[in-house]
Amino acid sequence: MSSEKIAENARLLGGEDVDVSNNRVPPPEASVLKGPSRLKALQAVAHSVAFDEDQNIKTPKNNAFWNQEMGRIQYFICKILLVGMYLVFGSFRYLQYEYNAMKLRVWNVIYNPSNTPQLIRQDVTKLDKIPHRLAAILEMKSAGSVGGGAKGLMNDGSEVVCWTVSAGIKHLILYDFDGILKKNVLEFREEIRAKLSKYFGPSNVPKFALRIPHKNKVYFSNDDSDKVSLEISLLSNRDGRQTIVDLTKTMAELTKSKELKAEDITMRLMDKELTQLVGPEPDLLLYFGPSLDLQGFPPWHLRLTEFHWEQDNNQVAYSIFIRGLHKYSNCKINVGK
Amino acid sequence: MSMEAETTLSWFSASEWIKNQFSNVIKVSNSAPKHVGFVMDGNRRYAKKMDIEVKEGHEAGYMSMSKVLELCYQAGVDTATVFAFSIENFKRSSLEVDNLMQLARERIRQLADKGELAEKYGIRVKVIGDLTLLPKDIYKEVKRTTDLTKNNTRATLNICFPYTGREEIFHSVKELISEDVPIDSINEICLEKHLYTGDSPPLDLLVRTSGVSRLSDFMLWQASNKGVVIELIDRLWPEFGPLNMAWILLKFAFRKSFSVKHELEDEVEDNDELMETLPEDKKNL
Repeated sequence: MSSEKIAENARLLGGEDVDVSNNRVPPPEASVLKGPSRLKALQAVAHSVAFDEDQNIKTPKNNAFWNQEMGRIQYFICKILLVGMYLVFGSFRYLQYEYNAMKLRVWNVIYNPSNTPQLIRQDVTKLDKIPHRLAAILEMKSAGSVGGGAKGLMNDGSEVVCWTVSAGIKHLILYDFDGILKKNVLEFREEIRAKLSKYFGPSNVPKFALRIPHKNKVYFSNDDSDKVSLEISLLSNRDGRQTIVDLTKTMAELTKSKELKAEDITMRLMDKELTQLVGPEPDLLLYFGPSLDLQGFPPWHLRLTEFHWEQDNNQVAYSIFIRGLHKYSNCKINVGK
Repeated sequence: MSMEAETTLSWFSASEWIKNQFSNVIKVSNSAPKHVGFVMDGNRRYAKKMDIEVKEGHEAGYMSMSKVLELCYQAGVDTATVFAFSIENFKRSSLEVDNLMQLARERIRQLADKGELAEKYGIRVKVIGDLTLLPKDIYKEVKRTTDLTKNNTRATLNICFPYTGREEIFHSVKELISEDVPIDSINEICLEKHLYTGDSPPLDLLVRTSGVSRLSDFMLWQASNKGVVIELIDRLWPEFGPLNMAWILLKFAFRKSFSVKHELEDEVEDNDELMETLPEDKKNL
């Protein structure tokens, strides 16, 4: 049994081998404004003024309106204005970044669960409604930084799992672009177990199930598979557009072999199939990055999902989680009306 | 009286001049978004707030749309896609749906008139969505405008009417299947080409007003892509003006100018890391 699982894990690892370094998320724009890179920012401005000129001067001819042509002098004035505007905007952004960072620090002090499910419970019971299904987009930070690499990602993921269990939400979707959680699912399961026992005590660890919809596999926390308190789906970029392509291929094949009539292909059928392949649509999506980027999250499943993130935040913090739940409890959805 | 008119006129031309200068600056930065999507949300709430009729709220929304679009096209945006009417909107009261259709008919006709947006900026107007749901007379008007502007090439305006993002994906899938292409050649790219926005550049920026943080079934496929900037503004659409848009464009340009440089630096760093870690890995093996 266990050797099978290891083999499966190895297969997963070897299977869709995504080159992580190619797909790495560029660091948030805010980091441009920190520390020594301010000099780089200045260089970049200087660069954009000095070196792009030849290439730029052609573009206005192609897309200028009213056949207006920009003279060399006017062009130069515009470049200077641009630098001025960038400088003003840059200093504004710097102040805004500092302000936001301070705000987040204060929130992290106010909302501090200190590994206690009871405190989270208390925060949540005040809310009018909580999401049925919660999704979170996680990002792997570069291996060198604190809390980076696959280990850091798993730590973040298990942290979110603990909050979700404590809040009493039954379904959780964890999305990471490269599918690193999927690849290390067994290790991740251990990580979650360890984290949960820290929250609930070793004798009291809630049962959970890890689902990988793409492989159609379920990993239970214990051997008995009944009554889990949380179901976690692990998704990656693969479950987004590519799954819709796969479904299209399958349906095209079936129509060719006359097993499926063209008029039977309906929105409802597609919705049903995609729910089966990926899972149902989440009610609330949390993003723990500095500015919202959906990163190829399954498009079909974003129809009415509420998003929550905090500007310039760059860590998986409880304050984001609880504020997201607050926001969700106050929002009103009226389809079309 | 005439002096008053003169001052307002000079004020008007001054703001016009600033607008032109600003859009030139953005254009020169070469970092304007190529494709911008707008969810024009909040016309009815605006009407309620200002205590005017719902119909006037929609009118105000149209005015703000044409001003914002004008700035976008001047600043070098190639394609704008606006969410005018959702398929779900047919669920509204029949009086309001009728009013909206009436407004749409007038405005779609007007778009192609002499001296209006389409002619002034050389915009090709396209109406996208499930057009079979439109009443016949509106469909005729849509056809007329799209035919009149189809030879304009400088910019594109996609009007989503009536549209939902899921229907768009579904439509693309269905079309691809009915075209009977070889199954192995079905991929993301050809699915994307069959979307209503298939011949537009990829979406860079999505603007949604009235402080709601949902896509509400708008451009799901396009907006979920990695790197698309989503701006949610806490203002009702009729209150959203060129000034707000200018701020967003500046923000976008600033971000784009810096993040590209940053990515390049990052790649170099990665290579260094790789060079360092490679021998160690080999040792471990």
